[in-house]
Amino acid sequence: MLGKLALAGIKNRRRDYLVLLAGLTMSAAIFYMFANLATNQAFIKANAAIRSANIIFGFGAVLLIIITVVYLMYANSFLLSMRQHDYGLFMMLGATRKRVGQLVFLETLILGTVATAIGIGLGLLMSKFLVGFLLDLLGLHLAHLTSFYVPAILATAVLYVGLFILASVFNLFRLTRTTVLKLLHSDSEANQPQVKPGRQFIQAILGILSLAVGYWALANIKMLMISAIPVALVTITIGTYLLFKATILMVIRQLRRTAWSKKHLNGFLLGQLNFRVYNYTRMLTIVSLLFAMALGAITVGSGYHRQLPRVVDHFSGYSVALHNVSGKEEKLIDQLHVAHQATYTQKRQGKVVAYNADEFERQPFEQQRFSKNGQKLIGYDTQSLKAFKKSGIKEMDFMALALTSAGPYAPQILSASQFKQQKGTKMTVTVIRVTNFTRDMAVLKKLNKIETSRFAQPSYMTVGSYQSFEMMTGFFGGFEFIGYFLGIAFLAMLASCLMFKILSGAPGDKQRYRMLFKIGVRQSKMRQGIAKEIGILFLIPGIMGVIDVLFGLQMFKPLMASPMSPYLGIGSTFLIFIGLYVIYYFITLALYWRIVLPQATND
Amino acid sequence: MTTNTVVSVNGLEKTYGKANERQYRALKDINLTVEQGEFVGIMGASGSGKTTLLNMLSTLDVPTSGDVVVNGHDVTQMRGNQLADFRAQEVGFIFQDFNLLESLTAEENIGLPLALQGTASQVMDQAIYEVAATLSISDLLQKYPSELSGGQKQRVAAARAIVHHPAILMGDEPTGALDSTSARELLDLLTTINREQAMSVLLVTHDPFSASFCQRILFIKDGEIGSELRRGDQDRREFYQEILNELGTFNE
Ligand SMILES: Nc1ncnc2c1ncn2[C@@H]1O[C@H](COP(=O)(O)OP(=O)(O)OP(=O)(O)O)[C@@H](O)[C@H]1O
Ligand SMILES: [Mg+2]
Repeated sequence: MLGKLALAGIKNRRRDYLVLLAGLTMSAAIFYMFANLATNQAFIKANAAIRSANIIFGFGAVLLIIITVVYLMYANSFLLSMRQHDYGLFMMLGATRKRVGQLVFLETLILGTVATAIGIGLGLLMSKFLVGFLLDLLGLHLAHLTSFYVPAILATAVLYVGLFILASVFNLFRLTRTTVLKLLHSDSEANQPQVKPGRQFIQAILGILSLAVGYWALANIKMLMISAIPVALVTITIGTYLLFKATILMVIRQLRRTAWSKKHLNGFLLGQLNFRVYNYTRMLTIVSLLFAMALGAITVGSGYHRQLPRVVDHFSGYSVALHNVSGKEEKLIDQLHVAHQATYTQKRQGKVVAYNADEFERQPFEQQRFSKNGQKLIGYDTQSLKAFKKSGIKEMDFMALALTSAGPYAPQILSASQFKQQKGTKMTVTVIRVTNFTRDMAVLKKLNKIETSRFAQPSYMTVGSYQSFEMMTGFFGGFEFIGYFLGIAFLAMLASCLMFKILSGAPGDKQRYRMLFKIGVRQSKMRQGIAKEIGILFLIPGIMGVIDVLFGLQMFKPLMASPMSPYLGIGSTFLIFIGLYVIYYFITLALYWRIVLPQATND
Repeated sequence: MTTNTVVSVNGLEKTYGKANERQYRALKDINLTVEQGEFVGIMGASGSGKTTLLNMLSTLDVPTSGDVVVNGHDVTQMRGNQLADFRAQEVGFIFQDFNLLESLTAEENIGLPLALQGTASQVMDQAIYEVAATLSISDLLQKYPSELSGGQKQRVAAARAIVHHPAILMGDEPTGALDSTSARELLDLLTTINREQAMSVLLVTHDPFSASFCQRILFIKDGEIGSELRRGDQDRREFYQEILNELGTFNE
């Protein structure tokens, strides 16, 4: 009987349940996709570039689990908020706590299991289509990317069902511990936050100080090393929380005193925010941080990828090194805009590769010249033959000119006569540096393809800046991919956290808007009011998150030394991200309107 | 129609349920008028259609047929925003469950109807101050509804209902959730407002004591107006007795 009643209750709110189920399903699907990428050994092994990003995957997985837990917490409280009135009623009608407890437990668990199952299915499909699409978009081709991977399925199922069991137990306690009366009137409670100016002033100061410490730590990551990250995480969290707590209420309080608050629904809006924001402080803090992490991941990932051509000249003194240049290669070389070109003859015998000193007199080997701190490329230098024999000969750029596939070797520069008598296999190597890497990239690609097919090198070797570029593109492309993936996944969950938290308050708001309807507030005014209210709740963590990212990017300055910069071109990344966030806002708004706005006729 | 008529209802019908569902005729051919400055009560058993009638008059719900004219506005012809504006300007409401917004202070609650009309804040403060004095809630203005007793809440609600000087004040069992002392205070206040501001009051109740404060009472039964009592020159106690007698015969 009670089971039937519970089912009827669910039926009445099936649309809300659908929202909840959809949210949970999406979350499980995202988790599966990530787990699939992160745990699929065949895939990782086949993609050297991705393999080096293993740490990033690990880091991402931890973040994803944290946000999943937070997400489920809010989804669960949304579920509770929908159900507690019903359950209170059942108890008042004489159902035993034990019976109601069983119902709660079952309901949560069934909902969770169904969501997980559908989510994994959806995740399979999305892995198949979406991940491929994203990779294509980034110009990456990853081998062995399967969508069906049993360990990933298990990981997702275990995590989600485990969390739902926890949630069920939590709900059981929540519902069986609270008094019936409280359950019945859970909506009508509204505690008015106290404002103590002195204390709030101190909170604000402490908050700003903590934030400053956090931002400082990120900017000085070179000095603080890895400890900067936990320090920043803790201080920024505390700082954000204190700042929200101290300032938002104060601002609302001040606004309420103005004449502006006495116009139209403004006063109502402020009143709503006043007792909402207080409950939301913790939530807004978490959301702002996760917002920052998500945006940061995308920004850094795509920043690296996009800015790679800017640093490519740093990788090596020449763009390509070609052995025994063929006629076909000659033609391609003609298409290049060559800044420097030199050809040297090599004679290899055993572990020795001999060069002709004459050739070096005629065309000295050009080397990169860096600024004093060793960070900035300022030009190209040549050494006297004597000096070159001492130092230049040991440089990686020069060492790499001989083929390593025949085993390790030592280069030697012999006088013309000695070289003539030297025995060994003879071949030439031509080094070419182009004036503008980006302009000649396509031709370089073709040349490199021919060279690597004719003379195989071990995969860990890169010769010339073009090969380094290709390797780094794979690496940072992977980085960017993970950045986008995690960023979008975080954003999706985040925004729906916020959505659920806001929607949890909807039943109470329903009554409030009904009252407004009765006293003659226009439908359009109510719509605007809700849009503003929810907009502000979305805006606060958004702004804070953007500020966090702007400061947090300092952390990547050492990694992205000039001419790269973590701040370069962040505008478009921010735009995409904020666009997605705004879409979530509108979804929440539409749902809220539907739940809260009274219909024109009475019921 | 003379300008002295605030409410005039002609052949009002209300049928709940759509044509293909189970239908229920809650109101059948209701005709009534309320004059300017009148204090009218509507009595009837539970389920007789009192709330339904009030909802039609206050445009919270739409009649199936018939005319409702309030302060010269033909309510049945209005749509959307017109209806909202009509409620905001012409009607003051007091509900059994107060309907105060708990996120706003008493003052902000009272000011809401004025804020909706975009009244200047000084004018608004003055109006709130005056109405608060009338209802003796001046010292409660800064409190939130959760800090008020039921009687105080209802007085705040009454203040909100009259602060913008509506054409008519409507109450659906406004004393329903109050103890007898608070109920009496509220009814005295409504009487004062009715007399001093010449504001028409329409009070729905099933309680003879509350009804005895009215000048005229309409009895409604099964969706039809059955009889009518006028207080005339009687004092309240005598009228109360008369109501009890009427209810005795009316309910048989
Ligand atoms: N939305 C509705 N749909 C269908 N029937 C309704 C609806 N609202 C009211 N009714 C029916 O109309 C009749 C009149 O209801 P109304 O609420 O007007 O009674 P009332 O006189 O206010 O009673 P009470 O004193 O108990 O408040 C009742 O029989 C009720 O069942
Ligand atoms: Mg009623």
